[in-house]
This record gives sequence, structure tokens and C-alpha cells, in this order.
Amino acid sequence: MTMRLIGCVLVAGGLLGGAPVDAGALASAQQDHESWLMYGRNYSAWRYSPLDEVDRSNVARLVPVWMFQTGQPGKLQTTPLVRDGVMYVTGPSNHAWALDLKTGRRLWHYSEPVPTDLSLCCGQPNRGFAILGDRLYKVNMQATLVALDRRTGDVVWEVAAADYRQGYSNTVAPLIVKDKVVVGIAGAEFGTRDFIDAYDAETGERVWRFWTVPGPGEFGNETWGGDSWRRGGASTWITGSYDPELNLIYWGTGNPGPDLDGAPRPGDNLFSDSMLALDADTGERKWHFQFTPHDVHDWDSVADPVLVEVEVDGKPRKALVQANRNGHFYALDRVTGEFLFARAYTDVNWADGIGPDGRPILIPGHVPDDEGTLTCPGMGGGHNWHATSYSPQTGLYYFNSGDGCQIYHGATQDFVEGEYYLGSAMENVTGAPREGSILAVDPSTGDQSWRFPLVSPPTSGLLSTGGGLVFAGTAEGYFMALDAVAGRPLWRLQTGGPVRAPAITYRFEGRQHVATAAGGSILVFALPD
Amino acid sequence: MRWEIALLAALLVSAAHGQKFQSSPFHGDEASTGVGKASFRLRCSACHGIHAEGGRGPALDRGEFEAGDRDIDLYRVIENGVPGTEMPAFGARSTEENIWRMVAYLRTFQPEEGQSAGGDAAPGEDLFWNRAGCGGCHRVGSRGGNYGPALTRIGRSRSLAHLRESVLQPDADLPPGYYVVEVETKDGRSLRGIGQGFDDFSVQWTDAAGNFRSYYRNEVASVRREFLSVMPGTYGESLSEQDLADLLTYLQGLRGEGGQP
Repeated sequence: MTMRLIGCVLVAGGLLGGAPVDAGALASAQQDHESWLMYGRNYSAWRYSPLDEVDRSNVARLVPVWMFQTGQPGKLQTTPLVRDGVMYVTGPSNHAWALDLKTGRRLWHYSEPVPTDLSLCCGQPNRGFAILGDRLYKVNMQATLVALDRRTGDVVWEVAAADYRQGYSNTVAPLIVKDKVVVGIAGAEFGTRDFIDAYDAETGERVWRFWTVPGPGEFGNETWGGDSWRRGGASTWITGSYDPELNLIYWGTGNPGPDLDGAPRPGDNLFSDSMLALDADTGERKWHFQFTPHDVHDWDSVADPVLVEVEVDGKPRKALVQANRNGHFYALDRVTGEFLFARAYTDVNWADGIGPDGRPILIPGHVPDDEGTLTCPGMGGGHNWHATSYSPQTGLYYFNSGDGCQIYHGATQDFVEGEYYLGSAMENVTGAPREGSILAVDPSTGDQSWRFPLVSPPTSGLLSTGGGLVFAGTAEGYFMALDAVAGRPLWRLQTGGPVRAPAITYRFEGRQHVATAAGGSILVFALPD
Repeated sequence: MRWEIALLAALLVSAAHGQKFQSSPFHGDEASTGVGKASFRLRCSACHGIHAEGGRGPALDRGEFEAGDRDIDLYRVIENGVPGTEMPAFGARSTEENIWRMVAYLRTFQPEEGQSAGGDAAPGEDLFWNRAGCGGCHRVGSRGGNYGPALTRIGRSRSLAHLRESVLQPDADLPPGYYVVEVETKDGRSLRGIGQGFDDFSVQWTDAAGNFRSYYRNEVASVRREFLSVMPGTYGESLSEQDLADLLTYLQGLRGEGGQP
């Protein structure tokens, strides 16, 4: 009640809310230096800001401005949104907050209980809000999508995308396209059949659904032996991108189920581990590209589909690039889905490159079995889900990589609704723990420009800026700025909690600020006055 | 279908008596034990081995369990963990049914011979504190050193095979958090110790004399981390078979019970 009163007072005073965010504001998000309006900053998922007040020469003077502690268990993975002097933050376990951008003081707190009988593979994170008009949109753990009034945090509507008792859950940041809220789903570790949904932003009514595992009679169903499509997985737990000119939504999909046992699902298993291009109005598939046909290593292909213009073999191409969990960097033609090229960016021992048809050239001996097979990269990749960044200033694409191998064990198991459906498990290699790195890659060639080593597999996403900087975090709690050209660390702070989120930046009251989540806190930095 | 009836019956009994089942309703049900095996591999194999052969945690493939021989004993251990050991509680992370599936999987292993090392604990204890020098680094109760892991309850948490491997091949499976840090200072000194922190910008360790050290990486010439043990790997040569059996018998008896030091 108290928070609601405060919200009303602030709205009445014109202090909270500001002008509604319309489709035009989202389309020009890259030019809005005062805001951060969507997960990937712009529809191309660049996560690049032209702001250059903080640059290579002065970043070492960066100091904290404020810090917000959620007071809730769990680590933040969120990309905060910023608009009209307010920061909107989602947290684990169905919590969310609006914060005063000036002081970090809490304006409202939203929460909803998490059912105790959820089937969850990987904690209870949430990766952020979407914004349209006067509303914020987020998913909740129990596979619902909720619209909040951004002035008060009050619920406007909430719809269930799926029945969580069947193993579904949700963590993705929604993507607003025109008047629709586009979301993915999670659950492949529990034998769900997954999808991408679009909802009417006004009413919450579902407008279209694309099943990422096709049913009988649909294109691709023949790539699933028997009725294995019913439990095929192909989750969609990381936000896609959008090309307004082509009116196509690009969204990556996750592993087929069961993860490590391919025997029950003979075939390529479309559209698992794929990139999908869908008509934004209808959800109709325009093209698909499968990175890892018949995957048995849990190599989700959900990572950011980043839209860049590149020159391949002397020809300009509208490309989509992705650092895939299977250890290869891919460039596709985003108009047609044509495979342009792929390059390994970490140790890979399961494939001898990617053939001209885009299919991996398999090396025998890497199918998980009871005794276990040593395969690189390990289950987490390669590059996993963490947000990436493309800088038009340097022309480089930045992403992180988990480097090293694991022993993959496979075994047949029966399906039980709501229970793990993995087909066995991974084992670490004694004396050879996995490490990590942050890479800068030329998206036209896959050539590595630099590589910054990490002692642990990476946990944070990345942000690049017009100041020639790449901001990143580490599992051990460092938040740092790297030289975007040379890859050298220029500034760091030990935050006291693992950095599992990507940073954002915005201009507020005339100064550039940089914000990141670390542990269960939001930290904001700027140059001293 | 059979297990579903058993489950229903057990649920009714459970509801009537306000208690959990006493035994797994999934015995003999291959599908359920398969799911139990998958769950075991996911949640338990890092410590108990991918085939339940034991490792950091006790072997569970012998058909004998320290927690007790009844299904309900296994259930309670999985649900609540074992206080004072590395065994966590899985009750909040797993449904009741799935814990019973894991119990059914563990019950597929048949009992084997006893797991005694076959030696005598008294000479083993003497070896530990004197000739083998274990107590210089390892603590039992309030006695001993702090350079290596405390062994006060080691008999509760390690299988015989793992204890034997740890004595003969200390590098084979390091306890969590144990690694060696080697640092070269800018004036050419080599420093070494048990790592306490190792990240992209700093390193912390404790040396053999018990001194804590902390440096930023740019303060020293080089930093290296090795997943090796500082424990000598020569006990296979210096101990006779009888010595080894005695020492292992002593270690097996370290259970942190009965006013033991």
C-alpha cells in the first residue's frame, strides 16, 4: 500500500513515467543516448552505445555513483532498462524493481510467489524487461508473461504461456516488435516441446505461436523418429533480434531432448540447435539454419543473433552472426539463411570444421556412452548464452568463450513428466578445469583480433561503447573495462559478487553512466564530477 | 502401472499416518530406476562417481550404505543431507517421487564383501602421527597441522578405494578448493603454497609455514596454478602393504564420534 501511494504521488507530480515508449522509439533506440530500451540495446542486438565521455584515456577514473541491493536471494542476470530517469530491473524468483536513476532509491517492488513444484535446470534467473507504452513486460518462472504498469509496478495482465507442471519455465527478456510481445520458453531438460510466442501487448492475447519442434504434417517433423517430437525440447530462452526492413524476427533454439542420448530421436531433430527467421506479423518460418544436427552434447544455439553488414568474398552481405556453443563462429545471410562461413574459436575435437553445406564434418568417437567420451568444448560451450556486443566503431564482434573439455556420459532413460530428461550427465576432467576468454572477432572473416584469458568459464555479458571500451565481468566478481582495440584491461573493481549480467550505459543529467548487476546488486559508475 | 498402484497405496498410508513411505514404490520398475539413474548422475555423480563407484563421497554401488540399510534411511539422507559432511540436502531440489526413484536405482546394486581395509588401527595411528608424518599437515580433532584437509571425519565421507587412492596418488582427486599456487617475484624468488584465491587480477595462498600471502598479479613476475597436491606421492614406496592396511584402517575409523580427538 505504501509503495502504491508513493507511486501515485510521483505520477501526480510528473516525476515517474515520462512519455510513453512507442514503436518509433524502439526502432531508433540506438540513437537514444539517455535510455536503454531493449535487451540488446537495438533490434540488431549490438549492445553498443556511441557514448564516448568515458573512454580509454579516462576510464581508470571511473567511480561508483550508487549501489542497489535487492535483499533477495539469487544472483542477477538482468539487462536493466532505463527511461526518463528510472531504471527497471528484474531479479531472480519473480522479483522486479523500479529505481530512481539519480539516487538508486527503490520506487516500487514487484514480486510474485514461485511455485514450489517447478522443474528447473538452472536456478531462477530472469534476464530483463521489455518496454512499450506505459507498460513493462517480463516473464515469470512459472512460464507466464506479465504486463506491469511502469509507474506503479501494478499488474495489468498475466497470461500462462504453458503449464509449468509439464516442465516448462521461463527466464527470457521479451522482445517488443510493433504491437506484439515476443517471448521464448525453457524446459528442454524436462522433455517439453518448445516454441516462440507473440502476444498482443495491449490485451495479452496470443497472436501466434511457432513450435520449434514441428508436429505431424509440419515441415521438419520427419526429422524426429517415432513420436520423439513430443519431447523434443528446442527451448528459446534468450532474446532474439529483428530486422524491420525484412520484417523478420531471428531467434535461436536450444538442444533436443533428451540432451545426451540421441537414440530415442533418430534424425536431424529440427529445429533444435537452429537459427529461425520468422515473419514478425504471422510467425511463419521464412528460413532456418541448423548448427548442430542431431545434437548429443547439449549445445544450445540460443546465443544472440547479431545483425551486421559484412563483406564476404568481396561481396556485401546482410549477415546474421552467432558465436555458437558448439565451438564455431557462424555467419549466415539473414535474408535467405544461406550459410556464409564458420570458424572454430576454441578447442574443438568433435568436428573437422564445418562443410560448405553448413553441416559439421563429424569426427567419430564423440557420441556419449556409458563409459564417457572426452569432447571439447564442454557442455556449457564455447560461447553459451551471455550477451555479446558488436562495435561499428571498431568493426569487431565481442563475445566470451568457455574453453576446455568434459567427459560426456550417455544412457537411455524413460520419460517422466516434470523430471529431468537428460539421457545422462557430464564429468569434469581431473586436473584440467575449464577456463575461459573474451574474444574480439572480425565478423567478415572470423579472424580473432584479440583474446583476453579468464581463469574461469565466463559468466557475464559484454557492452561496447564509442569510448573504445568493452565492459565485462568475471565469475570472481571483477567488473572491468577492456581496450576495445587491444583487449588490455584499463580499469576494474572487485564487486564482491559474480558478474552474471551484461553492463549497460546511458547519459543522465549530462554525464555518461555505466551500470551492471553483480551478485544481487546493481552498481552504477561515472567519472567524478 | 504396478508402481502407480504402490505409489497410491503408499500415499494413502502416508496421508493416514502423517509420514513418508518406508520403502521406494519403484523397485523393479525399469523405467523409474532409469530416471533415478539419470537423476543420480546429474545430482550425485560429481562426488559419488558416474557409476556410483565412489570418489569424494562414499561408494554407493556396494549394496551397503552407511546411512542405514532401509530405503527410508537413504531417502532421508538424500532429502536432508548429512550435517558435518559435504553431503547437501536435495529435498528442496527434487520431488519426493524422484528421490524414491534414486533410492530404487541405488537398490539395484547388490551387497558385496565388507569394506574393511583389513589392518590394525593402532599401528596405523602411530604411523599417521610419527613415521608417515601425516599429522604434520592434517588435523584430526584438535591435533595436527592445517596445511592439508582436516581428516577428523574422513572415515565417514570417503570410500576405502578413495582413501587408498588419496594416500598413494594424492593428485588423482583433489578436495574441492585445493590447488597449488606458484609465484615468481620480481626479484627472482619462487614462492609456493596452497591457493586460497586465484582470479584474473590477484592471487592468495598460504605457505607451508602457515603464512598468508596476497598479491595483485602486476606486483609479481609470474603466477601459476596447478591442480596438484603438495602431499608427497611416495607413500607407495615408503609404506609396506601392512603399513598401508593399518593406516587405511585408522583413517576409516576417523568418524568424529565418541569424543575422538
